[in-house]
Amino acid sequence: MTNSSSDSRALRKFLRHKPAVVASFIIAAYAVVAMLLLFTNMITMDDTLQRVGPETIPGFSSVQNPEKRLEDAEWLLDRIDTLAGREDPRAALDSFRDLGVRHVAEIPIEDLQQRVEEGWEIYDRLAEVEDLTAAVNGTLNSPDAPTGEVVLADLQQLELKLDELLAPMTAKEKSTRWFEMLFGTDRQGRSIFYRSVYSIRVAVLVGLITGLLSVTIGTIAGLLSGYFGGWVDNLITWLYSTFASIPNIVLLILLAFMFDGGHIDEPLNRWTGGLLKWLIGGRLDETLIPVYIAFTATFWIGPCRVIRGETLKIRELEYVQAATVMGFGRTRILLRHILPNVTYLMLINFSLLFIGAIKSEVILSFLGLGVKKGPSWGIMISQSKVEVINGFFWQIGTATVLMFFLVLAFNVLSDALQDVLDPKHV
Amino acid sequence: MSTTTTQSSEAKTTTRELALSVQNLTTSFRSDRGLVTAVSNVSFDLFKGEALGLVGESGCGKSVTSKSLMRLLPEHVTRYGSDSKVMLGSDNVMKYSNREMRKIRGNRIAMIFQEPMTALNPVFTIGWQLDEALRHHTKLNRADRRKRVVELLDMVEIPNPDKRYGEYPHQLSGGMRQRVVIAMALACEPEILIADEPTTALDVTIQAQILRLMNDLRERTGTAILLITHDLGVVAQTCDRVVVMYAGQVVEQASVGDLFHNPSHPYTRALLQSIPRSGKKEKGKRLATIDGIVPSLLDMPKACRFAERCDCRQPQCDVEMPELVNFSGDRSVRCHFPVHK
Repeated sequence: MTNSSSDSRALRKFLRHKPAVVASFIIAAYAVVAMLLLFTNMITMDDTLQRVGPETIPGFSSVQNPEKRLEDAEWLLDRIDTLAGREDPRAALDSFRDLGVRHVAEIPIEDLQQRVEEGWEIYDRLAEVEDLTAAVNGTLNSPDAPTGEVVLADLQQLELKLDELLAPMTAKEKSTRWFEMLFGTDRQGRSIFYRSVYSIRVAVLVGLITGLLSVTIGTIAGLLSGYFGGWVDNLITWLYSTFASIPNIVLLILLAFMFDGGHIDEPLNRWTGGLLKWLIGGRLDETLIPVYIAFTATFWIGPCRVIRGETLKIRELEYVQAATVMGFGRTRILLRHILPNVTYLMLINFSLLFIGAIKSEVILSFLGLGVKKGPSWGIMISQSKVEVINGFFWQIGTATVLMFFLVLAFNVLSDALQDVLDPKHV
Repeated sequence: MSTTTTQSSEAKTTTRELALSVQNLTTSFRSDRGLVTAVSNVSFDLFKGEALGLVGESGCGKSVTSKSLMRLLPEHVTRYGSDSKVMLGSDNVMKYSNREMRKIRGNRIAMIFQEPMTALNPVFTIGWQLDEALRHHTKLNRADRRKRVVELLDMVEIPNPDKRYGEYPHQLSGGMRQRVVIAMALACEPEILIADEPTTALDVTIQAQILRLMNDLRERTGTAILLITHDLGVVAQTCDRVVVMYAGQVVEQASVGDLFHNPSHPYTRALLQSIPRSGKKEKGKRLATIDGIVPSLLDMPKACRFAERCDCRQPQCDVEMPELVNFSGDRSVRCHFPVHK
């Protein structure tokens, strides 16, 4: 009952802030996906590393140029041809999972080879055409060239042949396939959809953990420093000034290098009898722990500064003096009277650090120092450097758009929180 | 409580019970330029059920005096004189540990501040804040505390106390907030209430209401009030006795009637002349002021501190520091040549 009036006031103000409401829905969607990825096997890391089809397929099954279609056909023909020539062709074909959900058709090997042969015939005919795109468009200049319709019919026939090589898809396989190919594939034929969505897990983990750690450390340090002053203040101010004077990214790189290659693990495991290995089940640099430590080491400074300043201000306010006059102890005043007045700063700082951490993670991963195992938006952007030169934008585009909406939503939300939660902002 | 009520109204005839006795209070601060003495040798008595005014211009040491009584000044820079005593009953508060001090604060001595806008914590309801004071100092259970809080709100004449219980400070006006602050100060029925310019930030009508309320409460509960102000009008309206301070010293002590009708110290006289008056006689006259400025705390004259601004200065004034002389009953004055009528 006692809290209702303020809470509903904050809530009403928040609901009036339309962009913030939209932003919180977006964040909720990301959070749901992250939770699903964390606690279910919806998309596993193996999915993100597996080849699902030919390289650099554009997203939304958009029509590709004839050269690319021919290339993809060649890739599949070649794959099946090779497998069918193995000692135990049936087993080889059954274990062929590179195509994701699609199996090679359950027909006798001879029939299969027959069909592959027919496929190669059409392929050879098409391969002789000098400029396939021009031929399909009917703009080829040489008099003996086949007309556009003939070339196109050949291409379609080839693709039909390929379809016959594969077993027909069930409904479930169809939907899985649709998701796999939604944003196309990267240069190694891996699903961009899986990779970019799986990266949400990494981003949310990094944002959440470093955000929480930094805000907690920053708040404790800021409160102590602001309220007690004296040597406590001197020590904490000195600490954060020192940390702040080191260029952020250099410190991050330094820490990332420190953890790289298990240099830290070895002595730790030696002293504790393998405790670390038992706890995280592997090497430190394979987990995200170095990233958390590196970010928290620099990120706590922001909230610490802000909260120290606010505490210095609140300490002199009359309600704190009044609390002293009421005979309350210092711990009580700090926790019950000052802390509630800085919680809005904690929330705002958290939402700022959350996106700060995500952006830094992307930069570090881009430089090859962040996430070591599995995908991340930074790694995707880094890998798409070559693709972009060749005019293939699906990987960099998907990673950037997903990151953009998350960061934008958090920016809008922290802006709104600032208005809504400030107790003095009526 | 009824006995103290009669005591306060007949204060002059009956023997009064001492609530607080300040003796030789000297407060200095460490600074880059040496020890600065903000308050020197201040002594006064506060009797039960009485309202004592502590007046003086800005920087004369009123607030430092009141904060010294509560030991609210930052410990690492503050030094109190070795013979400074603040006697609460038979105990010297100056000798108390921080823990003992915390037991007294809010329980036996309460304090209210000048700025009602920031005197309440913006994130908690006023009910919660009043409740916290009771929770800290009494052993009442939840329901009893709630009852008591509503009672307190009712006592300070806040309408609908039950509804106001769950409201936040920002939902109340300045006058209402000051009432809540007073209610909070009186929550544990303190013997002494120190009010540091409680009405300065309020407009005149609210000021009158708050002063009347404080007077009523004093009569009802027998709490002694130490009212710190620079407003002589407030003093005249509220107090029984007045202590006038100048540059960290007490210069005059008298009952309100005596002080206003028959001021002894030249500073008090000059102060009273500086009050704006209305009426035919005053038309076209300039408002009287006191020339000069208060001497710096770092460079206090060894002799009379008011001498430079005094209009009846004599050679002796520049040589010798006058003592605070008690010359009749309640009255004492620090001047070589006091005016007696």
